[in-house]
Amino acid sequence: MNKTHIATFSIVSVIALVFLFPFYVAALMAFKTPKQTFDSFYALPSSLSFENFSLAWKASKYLSAITNSLVITVISVLLIVLVSALAGYSIARRNKPFYNFVFIVFLAGLVVPFQITMLPLYKMGKELSMLNSHWGIALIYGGFGVQMGVLFYAGFIRAISREIEEAARIDGCSTPGIFIRIILPLLKPVTATVLVLNALYIWNDFLLPLLYLQDKFYRTIPLQQYFFFGQYSSDLNLAFAYAVMGIIPIVGFFLLMQKYIIKGIAAGAIKG
Amino acid sequence: MGNIKRLIRAEMWYLLFLLPGLCLFIFAVFVPLVMGARYSFTSWDGLSRTVHYTGWDNYVRAFSDSDLWIVLVNTFKYAIIVTVLVNAISLLLALLLDTYLKFRNAFRTIFFLPGVISIVLSGFIWKYNYAIGFPSLFGMFGLDISSPLGDPNYALFGLILIAVWQGIGAPMIIYIAGLQGVSSELVESAKIDGANARQSFFRIILPLIAPSITINMLLVLTGSLKVFDLVYVTTQGGPAFSTEVISTFIYKSSFANFQAGYGTALSMIFFLILVLVTIVQISIFRRREVEM
Repeated sequence: MNKTHIATFSIVSVIALVFLFPFYVAALMAFKTPKQTFDSFYALPSSLSFENFSLAWKASKYLSAITNSLVITVISVLLIVLVSALAGYSIARRNKPFYNFVFIVFLAGLVVPFQITMLPLYKMGKELSMLNSHWGIALIYGGFGVQMGVLFYAGFIRAISREIEEAARIDGCSTPGIFIRIILPLLKPVTATVLVLNALYIWNDFLLPLLYLQDKFYRTIPLQQYFFFGQYSSDLNLAFAYAVMGIIPIVGFFLLMQKYIIKGIAAGAIKG
Repeated sequence: MGNIKRLIRAEMWYLLFLLPGLCLFIFAVFVPLVMGARYSFTSWDGLSRTVHYTGWDNYVRAFSDSDLWIVLVNTFKYAIIVTVLVNAISLLLALLLDTYLKFRNAFRTIFFLPGVISIVLSGFIWKYNYAIGFPSLFGMFGLDISSPLGDPNYALFGLILIAVWQGIGAPMIIYIAGLQGVSSELVESAKIDGANARQSFFRIILPLIAPSITINMLLVLTGSLKVFDLVYVTTQGGPAFSTEVISTFIYKSSFANFQAGYGTALSMIFFLILVLVTIVQISIFRRREVEM
């Protein structure tokens, strides 16, 4: 430990504390009663009370929201992984104009802002009765996610040597056989990346659920948070307890999957 | 003949593999884009079954709409400041974390953490930090402050601070990955040749991580030009129109004011702006990159 090291360490620690401060305030609010907060905002609560949490649990349909979020995220992510892996394989292995064209179209689609497609999507959703359903919104997420997914899968499969595939083909293995037996087992790392990045995005997305899930039985976590905060803006301690309840699952997911998330972001940047 | 048949069958599988992904994309992106482009030439209200074509009327109206210009200025002000701050801070943190710092993985996790919670949550937490938390913190030192979100002069900056807090994580990871690609031999040999820390940063490290700068600038800028959730859950565009950005403006025209035709015309203009910004940015930054 030399002097520059200590200086760097202190600077980084101070910045880290600043970054954590809003979380600290949220936790503080969640554990205190309105009276304690009024007496002193920053004082620690005298005793650890989970009353705000149990009240927030009762007042909200937390379980229903978390089930909706889980179901929608899981269906969408599985759909994205499946269709992107298949399409990515075709694009990586057929170096023909048509496949390259489709690849470019997928990439160009990433520039299209959601603001253009949001109103037509809403109208389509209404006419095809896709509103207020898990599969309807999952199909849309599938269409959004496949663009980035194909980019990841095609890049990854291109780097896999063709030799084993060609040997298998000579032995009479069909294209689906090759895909399932040879390629699929090799795709684990890239699948982990596509999975976690999309899961994080879909879990936290707000605007599409706002349009598609207007029935309150289908509300996802962010949507329910939005309405809960609106309704309980006068009982802040309760609202903050609810906020902490929303932070816990996603932060837990991040801490578990951190390795893949960080690898995925770094890999995505190199490809872009 | 048998040969051709086999060839077609082989190609068929590849086409079949491509199909589901392509269908989903056409359904969720391409068809809505074409529909949106069509609506932008109509006076559709977003509800009625029939639409009337009005030619370029919506576009002409957009250019004379003084609200649109205010909204565009707000959007660009927000996006440019966020882009500069996020990139500067995340590059600084990446440089600090790229040394042999103790607990660097824990620090990396902390700086990424705000980015994983939903914007509804961060917007809520910050709104009340601004309203109660900070005033009582600064109050201990005898300073009297009020929430910036309530003041038209500072509301946009209040939002920028939240966006920076939440947006550091991913660019920082990309910069760390970029810095790890810079060979330490180069930096060492520059040091032997008498370069100081500042020189080796500007002459060696910066040019070598130029690809990371390009991608981060592009991602943060286009991302913040599209900002919606943060404004919608905190200020709703207020006070006094000071935080109204293009996305919330389009949303209000399309869904609240029943001017879907005009709303989609605005979003087509926004699309063009995004494409232009992307092209300009890539061509500026690509020129500065060096080949290794």
